Amino acid sequence: MNLKTWIKTITFYDLLVGMKATMSHLLHYRPITLQYPHEKRMLPDNYRGMLALLRYDDGTEKCVGCDLCEAACPSRVIRVVSAEVPGQPTKRYSKEYYMDMTRCLFCGMCVDACPVDALGMTREFEWAVYDKRQLHLNKEQLLAIGDRSFPVREKQLELQHQNVAFFNVAFKHLPQKPS
Amino acid sequence: MTELSLRLAVSLAQIAAVMGIVMLTVMILTLAERKVLGWMQDRMGPMEVGPYGILQPIADGLKLFFKEDIVPAGANKAMFTLAPILAMVPAMIGFAVIPFGPNVTVDVFGITIKPFVISDINIGVLYILAFASIGAYGIILGGWSSNSKYSLLGGLRSAAQVISYELNVGLAIVGVLLLSGSLSLVTITQAQAGGFWHWFIWGARPDGFFPIHTQIFAFVVFVISAVAETNRVPFDLPEAESELVAGFFTEYSGMRFAFFFIAEYANMVLVSCVAASLFLGGWNAPYPGTILGYAGLEQLAWIENVAWFTLKVYMFLFLFFWLRATLPRLRYDQLMRFGWKVMLPIALANIVVTAITAYFFPR
Ligand code: SF4
Ligand code: SF4
Repeated sequence: MNLKTWIKTITFYDLLVGMKATMSHLLHYRPITLQYPHEKRMLPDNYRGMLALLRYDDGTEKCVGCDLCEAACPSRVIRVVSAEVPGQPTKRYSKEYYMDMTRCLFCGMCVDACPVDALGMTREFEWAVYDKRQLHLNKEQLLAIGDRSFPVREKQLELQHQNVAFFNVAFKHLPQKPS
Repeated sequence: MTELSLRLAVSLAQIAAVMGIVMLTVMILTLAERKVLGWMQDRMGPMEVGPYGILQPIADGLKLFFKEDIVPAGANKAMFTLAPILAMVPAMIGFAVIPFGPNVTVDVFGITIKPFVISDINIGVLYILAFASIGAYGIILGGWSSNSKYSLLGGLRSAAQVISYELNVGLAIVGVLLLSGSLSLVTITQAQAGGFWHWFIWGARPDGFFPIHTQIFAFVVFVISAVAETNRVPFDLPEAESELVAGFFTEYSGMRFAFFFIAEYANMVLVSCVAASLFLGGWNAPYPGTILGYAGLEQLAWIENVAWFTLKVYMFLFLFFWLRATLPRLRYDQLMRFGWKVMLPIALANIVVTAITAYFFPR
């Protein structure tokens, strides 16, 4: 140990440097805190918040009950019970649709997986509840979230036949929408 | 008989006043600590209860008061209840010998009392040291009786730490005792009157300026050991949050927890008072006499003295917060090595040097 380090040790030089740093923060007090319930953060554009089921502008549900979201979800949040639309044997919809939001990690995989863009992520995040069973959402609740978060709804594609999802639009041999 | 009851009444009133002030200080400290820590870390600290969060201690107190009182399964109930009391009583009792203001006497209904010290006993320093050691029993008992491994580890660490550092506290004080020739805090403080160069940290003789008896090394040892003894960062191993949940009071809740908490803060105030009295001249102003005294208001000089004492104590308390905001926790072997291999030799050498200088240059 040379003289310089020895002097630094006995005078607690390194501690004093650290204490000077904290003191300078105290003297130049510039807090970065947001007083959360009173002032809220600007959310980024691609914010991934609460999930919602969407509708077309005529009020029909977009979901075609394909179960792809359930397959894509890494934490098994989603449970879809798919069923035929009564009277339209080729068309399916989700008879029941549950999300257990206690497990969701807001990765957005389900939204990516959905072929008809029936799922959306809203900008809601204040979903703290006293009873966690309230976070087990059914289809009506998810649709309601979608209704209040996405007031501007997508039009149903004109080209599309009623019984065919829009990703089949390119296949000319399929029946086109009657004009 | 009437004189006895009168003395009793006066003493009780003094005790009530001091307890009230200490409790108030503890309340202020709980808020001040979070505020200062927050400011140093670019946060705001508590802001919700009252304007700028100043009513937070009251909210905390109410919350702790209404919390459920849980005794863990398998805990020794009697010991579990005794531990917080054993921790808190010694922390409070030490204030009995602290002189908060000048050593004046007042006659009330024919009896003579000293308004600024509850009891000026001639073994004041020993008394404080003795009760500080008893406080360690509270911590150890709390750890042992909780029937939890974290509490036990915290209690054991605390036992080892308090013993090692209490030794250093005791030895660091010896220099001051040699110079003042007394164990009474009142006498020690009086020996430092007349300007800051007479404070024992500087240690000039009563007739000179040269710091011949300087106790600055003892002061540093005392402050470091006091931080360790009150289990504060960076020596907070008994309650290391990241390793031991909360150390010896992991299993405590409600008012029992509050007792431990108050004990910790009261201990901080106590060691600050002792450090201020022993090394920084207690109630003495850093210049000879008092400004109010020179201005002809001799009866009001005590206000200035008490203000200086309060300022010194709060300076120490701020140092506690400052250290907490800056330093990480020591490892256990570092703590022990620092205590025994660094602090202890310095304290011992200080005694030898002080004894020699005090012999050749008596005060
Ligand atoms: S966001 Fe991720 S975790 Fe949540 S439901 Fe969708 S796929 Fe599952
Ligand atoms: S992937 Fe889309 S369309 Fe398929 S079930 Fe899920 S939400 Fe419905």
